[in-house]
Amino acid sequence: MNSASMSARIKVGAPLELGESSYRRLLDAAPDAMVVFNQAGDIILLNVQAEKQFGYRREDLLGRKVRTIIPEGFSERLLADGLRSVEDALAQQIGTGIELTGRRKDGREFPLEIMLSPLRSGGDVLVTAAIRDITARKAAERDLLHKMRELDRSNEELGRFAYVASHDLQEPLRMVASYTTLLCTRYKGKLGSDADEFIAFAVDGAGRMRQLIQDLLAYSRVGSTVKDLCSTSSEDALERTLIILRSVIEESGAVVTHDPLPTVLADDMQLVQLFQNLIGNAIKYQPPGVPRVHINAIRDGDRRWMFSVRDNGLGIDPQYFERIFGMFQRLHTREEFAGSGIGLAICKKIVERHGGRMSVESQPGVGSIFRFSLAGTETKATRSTEEKLACL
Amino acid sequence: MSVDVLLVEDNPGDVRLTQEAFRAANWDIHLHVASDGVEAMEFLRKEGSYAEAPRPALILLDLNLPKMNGREVLAEIKTDNVLKTIPTVILSNSDTASDIAASYQLHANCYVTKPTLSDDLDQIIDYINSFWLKRTRLSTTAMN
Repeated sequence: MNSASMSARIKVGAPLELGESSYRRLLDAAPDAMVVFNQAGDIILLNVQAEKQFGYRREDLLGRKVRTIIPEGFSERLLADGLRSVEDALAQQIGTGIELTGRRKDGREFPLEIMLSPLRSGGDVLVTAAIRDITARKAAERDLLHKMRELDRSNEELGRFAYVASHDLQEPLRMVASYTTLLCTRYKGKLGSDADEFIAFAVDGAGRMRQLIQDLLAYSRVGSTVKDLCSTSSEDALERTLIILRSVIEESGAVVTHDPLPTVLADDMQLVQLFQNLIGNAIKYQPPGVPRVHINAIRDGDRRWMFSVRDNGLGIDPQYFERIFGMFQRLHTREEFAGSGIGLAICKKIVERHGGRMSVESQPGVGSIFRFSLAGTETKATRSTEEKLACL
Repeated sequence: MSVDVLLVEDNPGDVRLTQEAFRAANWDIHLHVASDGVEAMEFLRKEGSYAEAPRPALILLDLNLPKMNGREVLAEIKTDNVLKTIPTVILSNSDTASDIAASYQLHANCYVTKPTLSDDLDQIIDYINSFWLKRTRLSTTAMN
């Protein structure tokens, strides 16, 4: 609705009378409440939505002051005063939604958002305001803020708990583990076979408790580190991982290959941990034979890279696709494969912290592909890497 | 010839484990135990009931002690002209960088984290025994 296109004749200082029914129909059809004010702050025009929003009939508001429906904040900011012309006042506010409080006829107040535009008529500049009731939005914002604070508090508590669990449990655990081991070494065969068996279970339990505590600490550390994400060479991270896994790779005879990998926005230590868990799993959960693992990355939309870690291992039954990412979830007995079941939970947490999602595709007896996405970086260095990759 | 070692440790479980470990490593060690820092300093300064206490060839010091904490004990030992020449090995639950740094700042001779498994503790005590008590040369004269 362009003020210049309107040809209504307006009498200054008198309530606006428009002969053009099409203009009036347009106004009434507007989804938002529309109110037009003059320089004195008088309401000179309003639409059906405004009547509904403020609970007045049109006749009751025409000629009344703006502060009838917006008690505070309007006149001061938006009408001309001694210090500035109306154009300047408006110019500051055009295009931005201003949040104020409206008052209905029954006295009830509600939060609203106003968008303004100037309206020239004759020699005057009027103000057209589109007014929206934002009660629901405000409530949702408050709710969200509250939930975010709760989440922060909860995470902090969880982090502290995990720290206490791992740290303060170490000492009693040491006592149990050390003395059961002593019992085992010193008295094996001397207290009878039952005692040997009991001691063996106790020693085993203590060892697993130790692993659980370490894993819990590792898991809690993923969320609690405050290191920012920064430009990281994922290829360097992979190289570091392969060095860490060197003996595992040698012992299993695994063949690990990769395509050139991009620079990404990541926490380099967590990226190494992510690769380590995924590749470690790929090598571990294998039938007899040569484990083969391949890592690559392809473009995922504009700004992200989708990594995949593909293996020729045991594969996973689709019914377990969700479960494997849970904490301490395992699909095998301890006799079949060692491990506490925290590895993929840690991977998932790391990927989520980087703004991505993890997924798995798998066929039992054939192998699995684990995928996750990371944000790319926008530097020139990246561009040349992208160009290199594009040429392959 | 019997060698005297002072262990400053409040956890009786850890005391016994260390005793067992030393027993396995070297039968000629006389292990003295102080269960807090105040007692440790009395022993080292030969005060009160410790008037006849021997000067230890080595001090094993836990950081986590009641009353006077391990760091304070370490500081006192290493600023005392008579005592500072005794090698002091920190034996601690903690593996945090700040604890390690602080201990070396106060001139600990070395820092060892208590292992979870007693086998590992046996090995560490064995190393400590062969290194500090058999191989390295210790000062037997106290500066006055």
